[in-house]
Amino acid sequence: MTTMMERSASAPGHSAKRKPLIERLNIVTALALGTVSAVVVWQLALKFMPDNADTAFFFNREDKISLLSLIAWFIGFMVGIGALIGPFRWLLGKDLNHDENMFYAGKDQGIKRYFRYTTDHKVVGIQYLVVTIIIFFVGGVLAMLIRTNLGHAQGGWIQPQTYNAIVGWHGIIMIVATIIMITGPFGNFVMPIMIGARDMAFPRLNALSFWLIVAAIPPVFISFFTGGITTGWSAYNPLASQAGLGMNGYIAFICIFALSTMVAGANITTTVIRMRAKGMTWNRTPIFIYGVVASVALALPAFPVFFLSQIMSGLDRAFATSFYNTTGGGSGWLYENLFWIMGHPEVYVILIPAVAALMEMAPVFTRAPLFSFNIAVMGIGGICGLSILVWAHHMYISGWAPLLSAPFMITTELISIPTGMLFLVLIGTIWRGNLWMTMPLMSIFALLWNFMIGGITGIYLSDVPADAFLHGSMYVTAHFHYTLMGAGLTGALASLVFWFPKMTGRMFDKKLSWVAFWLVQIGFNVAFMGMFLVGLAGQPRRVESYAAMFSRGNLITTIGAYTIMAGMLVLLHGVIISWRSGIKAPMNPWQSKTLEWTVPNPVPLENFDVLPIVTGDPYHYGKAQS
Amino acid sequence: MNKRFFAALGTVILGAAVIAGIGTYVASAKNDSRVLAATAAGTMDTPQGNLPHYTLDISVYPDAMFGGHGTGGGHPDWVSYGPVTNFTVPAHSAITITVANYDGGETLNNDFFGKIRGTIGGTATLNGETISSVAPDHVGHTFTVHGIAGEQSELFFSVPMKAVAEEDMPEEGYTKTPNVTVFTVITGDEGEYVWNCEYPCGDGTIAKFGNAMSSMGYMSGHFNVVKA
Repeated sequence: MTTMMERSASAPGHSAKRKPLIERLNIVTALALGTVSAVVVWQLALKFMPDNADTAFFFNREDKISLLSLIAWFIGFMVGIGALIGPFRWLLGKDLNHDENMFYAGKDQGIKRYFRYTTDHKVVGIQYLVVTIIIFFVGGVLAMLIRTNLGHAQGGWIQPQTYNAIVGWHGIIMIVATIIMITGPFGNFVMPIMIGARDMAFPRLNALSFWLIVAAIPPVFISFFTGGITTGWSAYNPLASQAGLGMNGYIAFICIFALSTMVAGANITTTVIRMRAKGMTWNRTPIFIYGVVASVALALPAFPVFFLSQIMSGLDRAFATSFYNTTGGGSGWLYENLFWIMGHPEVYVILIPAVAALMEMAPVFTRAPLFSFNIAVMGIGGICGLSILVWAHHMYISGWAPLLSAPFMITTELISIPTGMLFLVLIGTIWRGNLWMTMPLMSIFALLWNFMIGGITGIYLSDVPADAFLHGSMYVTAHFHYTLMGAGLTGALASLVFWFPKMTGRMFDKKLSWVAFWLVQIGFNVAFMGMFLVGLAGQPRRVESYAAMFSRGNLITTIGAYTIMAGMLVLLHGVIISWRSGIKAPMNPWQSKTLEWTVPNPVPLENFDVLPIVTGDPYHYGKAQS
Repeated sequence: MNKRFFAALGTVILGAAVIAGIGTYVASAKNDSRVLAATAAGTMDTPQGNLPHYTLDISVYPDAMFGGHGTGGGHPDWVSYGPVTNFTVPAHSAITITVANYDGGETLNNDFFGKIRGTIGGTATLNGETISSVAPDHVGHTFTVHGIAGEQSELFFSVPMKAVAEEDMPEEGYTKTPNVTVFTVITGDEGEYVWNCEYPCGDGTIAKFGNAMSSMGYMSGHFNVVKA
């Protein structure tokens, strides 16, 4: 068969061997075009950008140049990866034909499809998985540098400014990694199959959301070498306005990442609403789907606000506007509000899919129905509803709105109720179940323990008088690590082991999964219990050195951190060797009842030969045939 | 089993080595690695007895167009101490520091730093005259070493540098008549300290605490006390 691509390759003006453009673009061309664009714009700006006027409030010429260069990088990268081919062809009235769409889907391309703008949701899921692992590795290295420096009261191993930059860098990339760690790999690979769809509603947007994240990473890496993110991950203004050029990398990173999140949110939400299999009513939709949709639905209104906050920050830096500059009529409180309007829902963007994934696994490994599906859905809905009304509990001490402290305290404490519902569902499912002791099941116990500590310690921070004492201390750092890492990451690691057979066709090495689990969980609790101790004793966070009285607690934390490191490296080793040479996985190794386990390994390009019709709920373990 | 165990162990060791390598690189990366060591100058009678005596001669300029920063520096228009900003001085010694201030100034945010603290006698000499403070609206910069509570010896001293009068600041180059401040401090045990200027001089940033004030190598640096 002569395809359209073959015809276009032999069209006049093309050499006979020349591949069509769509086949020539990949990550190499993207990196090359992005780099060339950035360097060209940088050099042109250096040459032609006028000097600052004497009255310029900020050192804005350098900011203009670096922001323009980062924008050029972004545009060049997206052009180089092929993201604009589809829209451009559509504008010309020559939308992609079937063969080209099949090429975009990665058909018959082997490993090359993972380095291209591939639209197949399974490829995107694997791409997300690998990128998430890489980001976690970098963030983990930074965490170890922090903990090594804090292993001794005087610090001093790393310069204070470099230390600040490491803390900021660690913070922001770990937040991003935890945001994408479930919805990225598993939401993309598993979710469409789980609802009985052939792909996402907007496959090109799916590829776009992934490659936007890849485009966002270099700016934040470069920022480290141009002054760093010395403000902590929150980048409060006006601190950020007067920080070095590294902040421009942060701004570019957040803006591009926010675009990715918005695109992914619209795509996933549409897919679940419109493309569920026939018969998959909302009561028969797996709870993991609820978790993923809740996560992206929360992100949809939250991340545009984050995006806007950074645009304004960039304008303050580059054009001497005064959104956040008090002396020019702006307000630092404006930034704090915008940031936390994103920042607190974002906690649940991370947590909900992790808990939902474990709720998905609980029936599988207990061979019991999910305890009260309706309570689980109500719990997720309740958290979503309340989570957009709690942001100012981060600002009690800022003096922004003292009269609103009490209402925000109440909404924050109320969120314990829907969170408790999720605990109830997990415990109720495990209760008297036939426990199949796997790493994912143990992760449920770990989550219950860690999230209980994270939740209870969070209640004290939501309480205005207690927060006045604890705010800005290591106690806060320990608390949010207990929630985001102790609960969120635990759910993600369990998801990795659980869905690994479907994603790779291989079983995850069982022993390595256990070794990694115990090292990480023991190390985690040692590390952050130690951090609670020094936080309660008054050690401030984000400091490079500290008083000798905090030495013991910090040493304990550092020892715990090294234990986590060992566990995570064992897990990484497990991923590599299991993926490469693990035991071949059967189609449904866990005897689960959701749809993703009804398709063979490797999963066919369009998932199902015939779209399934759902006739029952996915959790009827131990019940009479429904 | 053994093979698998050693493979996993190898990954852990390799990962630890990567972290150690990156950490070593990061730890060794200095904004300004040049160090000025105090010069021996015999002994000196102090309230703590006769101690070895050393001197340090430094300056503070309205821009960074001198010495190692020079025109090729990252921020030639930033105010800066010089010729370098990292100093080593011997432990248990009297250190006489001479600072020639070529820069102007306005008003301190915090009057606390207008007073001389932590020097022998709580005084210094300014252009040859003994003083114990500089009026807060005449301070150009300060040289302040902050000790923190910890295992190393406490070390704290803060000396204000009188600003060069507006009418004495030339349009081009530096004034020919800098304000010279001389003071002596006594060091304790070995330790690593950070010094900085407490006069907000990061022009072009909010509250003037940005750029030169928040970057090592300009208005802050290291003050390390080493074994004599």
